[in-house]
Amino acid sequence: MTDTVGALRLGFGDLAIATALVGVAGIISFSLRLGLERRLGLAALRTVVQLLLVGYILTWVFGIDNPCAVGGIATLMIVAASRAAVQRPSRTFSGVTWRAFGSLFLSGMVTTVTVTAVIVRVDPWYKPQYVIPLLGMILGNGLTGLSLCLDQLLESFSERKAEVEMELALGATRWEAAREPLADAVRRGMIPIINSMMVVGIVALPGMMTGQILQGADPLNAVKYQVVVMFMIAAATSVSSIMMALLVYKRLFTAHHQLRSDLIREKPA
Amino acid sequence: MNSEPSMKHGAVRDSVMLELRGLGVGVGERALIRDVDLRLEPGESVALRGPSGCGKTTLLRAVSGLVDPVAGEVLFRGQRPADVGWPRFRRQVTLVEQRPVMLNASVTANLVRPFRYGVADEAFPEERAAALLERVGLAPAVTTQNARALSGGEQQRVSLVRALLTGPAVLLLDEPTTSLDEAAVSAVEELLREEAGARGLAALVVTHDNVQADRWCDRTFDLVPYLTGTPSSAPGGAAHDSEGVP
Repeated sequence: MTDTVGALRLGFGDLAIATALVGVAGIISFSLRLGLERRLGLAALRTVVQLLLVGYILTWVFGIDNPCAVGGIATLMIVAASRAAVQRPSRTFSGVTWRAFGSLFLSGMVTTVTVTAVIVRVDPWYKPQYVIPLLGMILGNGLTGLSLCLDQLLESFSERKAEVEMELALGATRWEAAREPLADAVRRGMIPIINSMMVVGIVALPGMMTGQILQGADPLNAVKYQVVVMFMIAAATSVSSIMMALLVYKRLFTAHHQLRSDLIREKPA
Repeated sequence: MNSEPSMKHGAVRDSVMLELRGLGVGVGERALIRDVDLRLEPGESVALRGPSGCGKTTLLRAVSGLVDPVAGEVLFRGQRPADVGWPRFRRQVTLVEQRPVMLNASVTANLVRPFRYGVADEAFPEERAAALLERVGLAPAVTTQNARALSGGEQQRVSLVRALLTGPAVLLLDEPTTSLDEAAVSAVEELLREEAGARGLAALVVTHDNVQADRWCDRTFDLVPYLTGTPSSAPGGAAHDSEGVP
């Protein structure tokens, strides 16, 4: 980012031309009677409004020079991410949201601060221009991983209850009985980021790296940033998935080495 | 008062192996059975009798500690399970559920699994496993098959062998022979009688087969007086000790 040699600034005229491209798609839809014009128009409008809103908010956020305020915004982002993460699975249990919050908070904060303070060495380390987008990327990926992990765990402890209890009845500790479902769930949570890491640069260029290159950054430096970002996301996703798995385990298994699958409830369809 | 149970099969008794003291079980907040007092001695087998859905399975699960009882306690050789350690307690007081649960692996892998737990003090007894499988009428070739591909009756026998291999002191058997034919039922009963006689294996057996209960078990414990919501369910002092004896 420091190697940016100067971004080509876009004016509203440039945006109007881009809008015309969507207009062409609309005309094609109209002529072929695809019936997509209204939805395309609405989607385009939402894109502009939502991103402009984010742009203005980020402009305001990036001007903040107070670690507490940055921490507050980060916490709000984590609250939103944890709520989204627990909404996706078809099952839930009481107290799942704060466990997701704890997992994302720990993994997100530790990873972001490590990157800003140790790797990129931003001064000050809480500079919102770095902290907020990095945390956003971590949470975006972390919530997907956590959500998949949680979904798999609750499914396992509901559907494979008999298997777990068979092991407990034969003398397994709760950890021994839960280990396989826990490992399966963490693996499932990690699949998206591992898949992304396997094909990055081959199937598609990551958005952040593309953005930097379009802004005129040295491609090799953009690659270095992307490597840091991928590793950061992988680390945060694994930590949040593992932590969530352990918190769910602690909730669903008692000190008597029992599985309390009765605490899990199906969400209404 | 409680009649001293007769030991049908020559097992030696010494002290109380398993004791249910004022045990009550239920589903959620709803009590099903309450105030059960029952003692099981080494080598003794007791049939639990009661109407369908009265909570016999829940009672066995509560004894095993897979669910908490709503009242009372279970003692193994005078000790609370938490003092023994739950995994070690369940190694000694082992539940074999009515619907056998097999891992998606070979029969051998299913039999070996309990020997991978931290509580296992000994290596997998391969020869004894082969001998036990043979005793319950399963051919050696079965060991390499996926356990989930076996019939219900075969799985039930594998499940029993898996529990026996760990050397429990008490088996909690929930309808252990429902899927078995006559020959297999005889083989299982004979094997359990031998285990009772040779090493004092005690058994608490849920069965709907009264003939089997009379044939196999030393006595029957009628749960009807302990059921909640029935005229005879009021727990009274006399009821505690009024175990039905065949």
